[in-house]
Amino acid sequence: MKKRLLVCDDEEPIRLLLTESLQDIYDIVEASNGKDALSLALREHFDLIIMDIKMPQVHGLEAIERIREKDKRIPIVIISAYRPMEDDIIVKTSNVAAFITKPIDISALRAKIFELIGE
Amino acid sequence: MMTYSKRGLNIASPGYLVALLYFISNIIFYFIPETKFSRPVVTFAIFLTDVIAISLAIYLAQGMQTDFYLIYFLIIFIASVGQDLRGSIPIAIVASILYGWLLLRANPGISILDSAILIRIPFIFIVSIISSYWSTEIRRELTEKKELENFAHRLEQEIARMTAEEIDLKSYHDTVINSVASGVIAVSSDGVITTINPEAARVLGTSRSALMGKNIKDIDGLEPMWQKMQEVIASSTPSDRVQVAIKNAHNETIPVGLSVSPMSSLNHSISGCVGILRDLSDIKALEERLRHAERLSYLGKMASWVAHEIRNPLTAIDGFSQLLAKTREPDKIKAFSVEIHRGTKRINHIIDDILTFARTKTHIKADDIDLRQLMTQITENMGNVRIFISGDVNTRIKGEEESLKSLFNNLISNSIDAMDKDPKLTIKFCRKDQWLVTEMADNGRGMSAENIKKLFTPFFTTKSRGTGLGLAIVKKIVDDHGGKLEIESEEGKGTTCRVYLPAGDK
Repeated sequence: MKKRLLVCDDEEPIRLLLTESLQDIYDIVEASNGKDALSLALREHFDLIIMDIKMPQVHGLEAIERIREKDKRIPIVIISAYRPMEDDIIVKTSNVAAFITKPIDISALRAKIFELIGE
Repeated sequence: MMTYSKRGLNIASPGYLVALLYFISNIIFYFIPETKFSRPVVTFAIFLTDVIAISLAIYLAQGMQTDFYLIYFLIIFIASVGQDLRGSIPIAIVASILYGWLLLRANPGISILDSAILIRIPFIFIVSIISSYWSTEIRRELTEKKELENFAHRLEQEIARMTAEEIDLKSYHDTVINSVASGVIAVSSDGVITTINPEAARVLGTSRSALMGKNIKDIDGLEPMWQKMQEVIASSTPSDRVQVAIKNAHNETIPVGLSVSPMSSLNHSISGCVGILRDLSDIKALEERLRHAERLSYLGKMASWVAHEIRNPLTAIDGFSQLLAKTREPDKIKAFSVEIHRGTKRINHIIDDILTFARTKTHIKADDIDLRQLMTQITENMGNVRIFISGDVNTRIKGEEESLKSLFNNLISNSIDAMDKDPKLTIKFCRKDQWLVTEMADNGRGMSAENIKKLFTPFFTTKSRGTGLGLAIVKKIVDDHGGKLEIESEEGKGTTCRVYLPAGDK
């Protein structure tokens, strides 16, 4: 059985890109905002979460904190147009497994996810 | 005198007694303070007593051969000197009655034409009148002289008092002017510096003494100040505060806030002007630092915004081209190509936004636009949003079509994004004075007062897909067209925007 990934980005082309890039190995569930991502993550089981930061309703960083309250172990990969130290986007690295800046190198992303959860 | 007679000195004689009494009374009078004699009744009584005493002496001198009557003249003379005509005439009357009576008594058959009566008695009156007149004259002269002296004295005192007051006032004014934190400089209408306070001297980089009395025209670097002062003197109306750059004595350029008021002299002609200067160097430096910091912060925000906005479509373009290289399925190739195209369009759109926002040109193209038609074009294919366009006035205006399209596109897409269920947008045109007003009302979520305040702040957005530039661009386009923008919003009820654009001819 394929491992399940939650992909959360408010940009529809990015979600599509991630799905197209990863769906050959993993089951992908998409969420278009932080709120949906949070409720999905709290309700269902995922092996890894890919999360954008700047999102409507619930900000990516807030969603991560809320998920961490319940699940300390699930690997979370951030994909963001910002750099980790840019502006107020200072990420608690202990909370996330990887921080990948946009634009994304798809092979590198696949390798990182494979490293974290395998196939 | 009175005791003197042909028989020699006789102590027991009544004459001696009269003389003694007279002498004693004079001694008593000597000790009575002078002020007691100022009352006319008292002096009159004294002179009367004198006259009676002389008459008595003549009477006692046994006959009219005596020359004692001459003493009448003396008394009348003194009475005239001491009093005036009103005082001396009664004495003269009493003296002539008594003397006449004595004459008649001594010479019962005497004729009225006798020289003793005809000359002596009128003479008493003549002396009385002349000496009174003379003494009055002298007294008047004396009084006048005294009054004149008094007047001169009072004048002197008054002048001294006024001088002292003026000195007080001047030093008070000097203190006030010197204590003012702003620079004060007064010049005559031909430019001579008449007053300058320490702060003005400090701003000009020199001392007050170096500037007092100098002509401002001759001081290098103060030309802008003198120019303003000349304008005020010529127009005799105070100037608004202006900023001028002057050069101080050390040849440093100093930004100065200057306001000038005309000074009018007592006859209301303009005698010069007074300038108030404020050294703006510190404020300017602070403003410059603030502007620099703002620019940096702005630049930072802008860079961050550009990075974020462009990296997202860039990610799509980059990612899909990576996928494109690996896929052979025609459907996927097509789909990925479409995504790449979308990404490039998006980037182009962002660049357009930045350029619109950043452009500094103020003149705009004057296309002849029918706003109603433009709006109909924009609102076509708006999906499930119900759009009502009303208002039948002429909606033609002169403006830049692309800009106006962007303006209304931004406002309409904002409205559409804000509406959740049963979206309904009403667009109304109406003419109000010189404006063509486009009113757009939605039934969306509305905005909080706090968000309304930040509405036009660039890079502020509450939307996920928002660039944060939309309304800043709207504002810019409206400003470029010389129009105005009103936004009313209530949370939970909806938002109404009114765009005022200068109306064209009907």
